[in-house]
Amino acid sequence: MIALHGTLINGSFEKTFDLHVGNEIVGVVGANGTGKTSLLRVVAGLHCLSSGELNIDGEIVDAPTRNIFVKPESRHIGMVFQDHSLLPFLTALENVAFPLIARGHSRSTAQRLADEFVEQFGVSHVASQLAKTLSGGQSQRVAIARALIGKPKAILLDEPLSAIDEESKPEVRAIIRERIAALGVPSLIVSHEIDDVRQMCTRIENYTR
Amino acid sequence: MKRVESRTPRFVSFGAIVGVLFLTLPIVGLMKRVAWSTLWSQLTEDVTMQALRASLYASVCATAIALILGLPLAWVLARVQFGARRLVRALILLPMVLPPVVGGVALLGAYGKSNGLLGGVLNNVFGIQLTYSLWGVVIAEAFVALPFLVLALEGGLRSIDTKYEESAAVMGAGDFTRFRLVVLPLLRPSLVSGLLLAWARALGEFGATITFAGNIQGRTQTTPLAVYSLLESNPESAYALSFLLVAVCVAVLVGLRDRWIGGGAQ
Repeated sequence: MIALHGTLINGSFEKTFDLHVGNEIVGVVGANGTGKTSLLRVVAGLHCLSSGELNIDGEIVDAPTRNIFVKPESRHIGMVFQDHSLLPFLTALENVAFPLIARGHSRSTAQRLADEFVEQFGVSHVASQLAKTLSGGQSQRVAIARALIGKPKAILLDEPLSAIDEESKPEVRAIIRERIAALGVPSLIVSHEIDDVRQMCTRIENYTR
Repeated sequence: MKRVESRTPRFVSFGAIVGVLFLTLPIVGLMKRVAWSTLWSQLTEDVTMQALRASLYASVCATAIALILGLPLAWVLARVQFGARRLVRALILLPMVLPPVVGGVALLGAYGKSNGLLGGVLNNVFGIQLTYSLWGVVIAEAFVALPFLVLALEGGLRSIDTKYEESAAVMGAGDFTRFRLVVLPLLRPSLVSGLLLAWARALGEFGATITFAGNIQGRTQTTPLAVYSLLESNPESAYALSFLLVAVCVAVLVGLRDRWIGGGAQ
């Protein structure tokens, strides 16, 4: 469960969020500058709320008036960034394994599970390639696999299909849905593509200025 | 269409050639004075071997100290906003522009055995004397080498996009894990070039070392100090050692070729 009721003030940008996500996939749509990505960054802990409260999986992780702020690394969230943000000096496989290694799993365990994920996301043929050499679509598949591998408490996907070609989209959508359903965790998907959102999400939030 | 900048004026070409000759001539002159047939025996004499050992030990230790102090300094300069940042940067860069002898005098003021701000305490309480000791050489070399490392690391840290650290944090990497698994690999080119530059500067240090640690053969006499001493008593060895230092500097430049030399060819 994600429960967010609060305001973010970041420079001249101000946005009040009022959101409750159970174990479902919620799509967030809206024009540029309406705070969709900011919403994901607040939940991930990359922006702090200026007021209000954020609760993830029963734990209050951000409540400025009570001086509570749980760091991103302790929130246990899986996230796909809009530009993927793969670590350029690691291979595709190492990128997928990174969340497990960062959380203290052995390299062999991480690599075994990462092997399975790169296979399922159709990037096993580029597993040993450095991330900086991947195409947009390959990079996005790796980013999705990386977000889902660590059994996160919540999943945040920012434009997760923007670089996937049209023919492959149904397959990737199905894998995302299947993986999230298996995890049974709240998920937020930000997208400009209303079709993607309709086909993956159980509910849609429309953000306006 | 012919580009205007492709036509180089003659006086510019002439100036550039004179500039190259001005830099090359001393090296050619040095090479001419090296006694190639006895080079090995000159380099393996007691006095030169002792100086080489002292230089190697002191420059490696000085570079390590510069790294331990320089990395946090560079981090703060690159990523922390605070009022006195310009002042701190100026202080860090001071040893680069300060005459090295003045640096040595300043070190005496800080770590001198009897009158130094800290030197007296070190000597009286812990029995540590830095002046006229090999550790004095290390301190003098670290003092002049530190700014080179800080500058390289600060530039490197500024060029790292923080999005990688953000994504690593969301993936569960804490502060130290992010530094180890994300920042260090991204910083590696700057770290390597900074370490090489700092080490080369430490290896060639003369003024601060002779002022603070003296020129004692077998104890504080490093290679540049040995060159200076040998120039009168045994010029052949002085030229042999000088050639060795030139060779090391060329090796450092080759190590930095992508970052420093290759850039001009872009």
